[in-house]
Amino acid sequence: MRNLPFEYAARNLGRSPLRLMISVVGSVLVVVLATSAFAFVRAMDRSLTGSASEDNVILLGAGSEESIERSEISASVASQAQASVFGIRSEAGKAFVSPEVHAALGVALGPDAEPAGQAVFRGMTPAAFAVHPQVRLTKGRAPNTGADEVIVGALAPTRLGVDDERLSVGESIWVDGRALTIVGRFAAPNTVMDAEVWVPLTSIQTLTRREGVSCVVLTLDEGEFADVDLFVKSRVDLELAAIPEADYYDQLNAFYRPVKMMVWITAVLIGIGGLLGGLNTMYAAFASRVREVGTLQSLGFPRRAVVLSFVQESLLASAAGAVIGALICLLLLDGVSVRFSMGAFGLLLDGPTVGFGIAAGVALGLIGAVPPTLRCLRLPVAEALKAT
Amino acid sequence: MPLIECRQLSKTYRKGAGTIKPLDGLDLDIDAGRFLALMGPSGSGKTTLLNLIAGIDRPSEGALTIGGQNIAKLSRSRLAAWRADHVGYVFQLYNLVPVLTAYENVELPLLLHKLTRRERHERVATALSLVGLADRHDHYPRQLSGGQEQRVAIARAIVTDPQIIVADEPTGDLDKPSAHAVMELLCRLNSELNKTLIMVTHDAATAEYADQTLHLDKGRLVEHSVQAAFSGETATTRPEEGAAR
Repeated sequence: MRNLPFEYAARNLGRSPLRLMISVVGSVLVVVLATSAFAFVRAMDRSLTGSASEDNVILLGAGSEESIERSEISASVASQAQASVFGIRSEAGKAFVSPEVHAALGVALGPDAEPAGQAVFRGMTPAAFAVHPQVRLTKGRAPNTGADEVIVGALAPTRLGVDDERLSVGESIWVDGRALTIVGRFAAPNTVMDAEVWVPLTSIQTLTRREGVSCVVLTLDEGEFADVDLFVKSRVDLELAAIPEADYYDQLNAFYRPVKMMVWITAVLIGIGGLLGGLNTMYAAFASRVREVGTLQSLGFPRRAVVLSFVQESLLASAAGAVIGALICLLLLDGVSVRFSMGAFGLLLDGPTVGFGIAAGVALGLIGAVPPTLRCLRLPVAEALKAT
Repeated sequence: MPLIECRQLSKTYRKGAGTIKPLDGLDLDIDAGRFLALMGPSGSGKTTLLNLIAGIDRPSEGALTIGGQNIAKLSRSRLAAWRADHVGYVFQLYNLVPVLTAYENVELPLLLHKLTRRERHERVATALSLVGLADRHDHYPRQLSGGQEQRVAIARAIVTDPQIIVADEPTGDLDKPSAHAVMELLCRLNSELNKTLIMVTHDAATAEYADQTLHLDKGRLVEHSVQAAFSGETATTRPEEGAAR
């Protein structure tokens, strides 16, 4: 054995409670930031990628491939596509063809109230449940065609900034002064749909004074994307574009990349602040032990043993901070919903996310210990023994 | 054959643009079992010589052979291993590790040797008994007096049973009774355990505990005194008149 006893590293932590506290708090800060950033980015990714179904293809207006909300196509596209495209999935004689209107509308909580916020409304027919299997009703029923009824996603209250109970089944919301009764609640975990309000297609067409639809979503069975593409290219008069649903959400994901980058940059910058604070603390802690290090070396302990012991000491402090940080995150962040322009998503602190945060904290301890230790060992032993 | 042989031993340090030479072409032989005191004014090179013999510094020039091995040529890591095997160091300010108990401090050098926990325990207990602090084994340095701390440091220096014990002003921070107790202990190590002791001191009274005193000045040996076993009689020679043996 050529290493210093572990007790040496552990007990050194108690030499300066203030320094220990600074180290632990620095680690907590870094872990909370890293975990939050990782949870945010992962949840956003998951929300966008989870919204797509592999077999779905979206038909939308040519030139509007980047935003369904901006798209306007003829309402007849649904029936024409159903009749012309080979290999569309069907069940019990019902084809998986869903004409939809997507619109961001202001929602008021009373007949004369100002809008509480904007929500993404999806005008739909019963086929929407077939092409979007992620969606399941959790309470109530689906809205009746033509009725002023809506069903509300699990994260819609977060999107609107209202209490969940305010959007319970039986309550009403108002859009442009028109009352819409909530007849059901649905969940579509880890998708953008989770924050949407679904309304019968004809009702939203009336509300938005439009005759067409935003898009038609098809689910292919035996058919391939080329079959849909052939339809689009053969019906130039319809001015359509076809895009696999997965590609559409990948594009959206790419659109939000700068936001994610900013989240990471902010986390890294604050993390660097934490690291510098930790380095400063460690420099001070180790600098006061130069003579002790000289003594240990004079006894015959190699430099490696001193480095290892100091790293152990730093890791102990940062690991304690990491555990505290992880607990704080689990208590405060798990399940928290975050609003963004596409709707809302829920932060999920699963194993990889918490593991990443703890790893960041431990890495802080490792990186924060090595430079001060090397500086402490820079002096020759004979000079270190003279240090005060 | 002497235990320690210094041949044209020099040490040069850089200081700013210039250099200083605390040790300048020193020739010295020290037999095993000697108790040697090194004296001289500040900057005379006595601590430098002590550090070279202890293997915590390396000479710039010359040869330093200890037990037949030229330690000047050892790499840093091999020199560290050599120190652990051959040298015990007693410091002026004791240099105990404050977060470890007396027992753990004494045990530290043993961690560098292949010993079982039981063997380590036996050796630590023996060393602490030898310095009269067996009952203080679980005390931390802050709970001990200066003299007791130095005795723990001596126990730490002898626990590996090294050939050579070096002491740098071992009584420099102690009151008279404690200093006397420490010197008595060092004398016992020399006379009863036949340890070779090399001690740096400023104090002539402390040097009298040694059986030889070397006076250094400007990195050179200037005087060599041999005490007649605490009788107070001292024979002094110049280095050119004979080897320092």
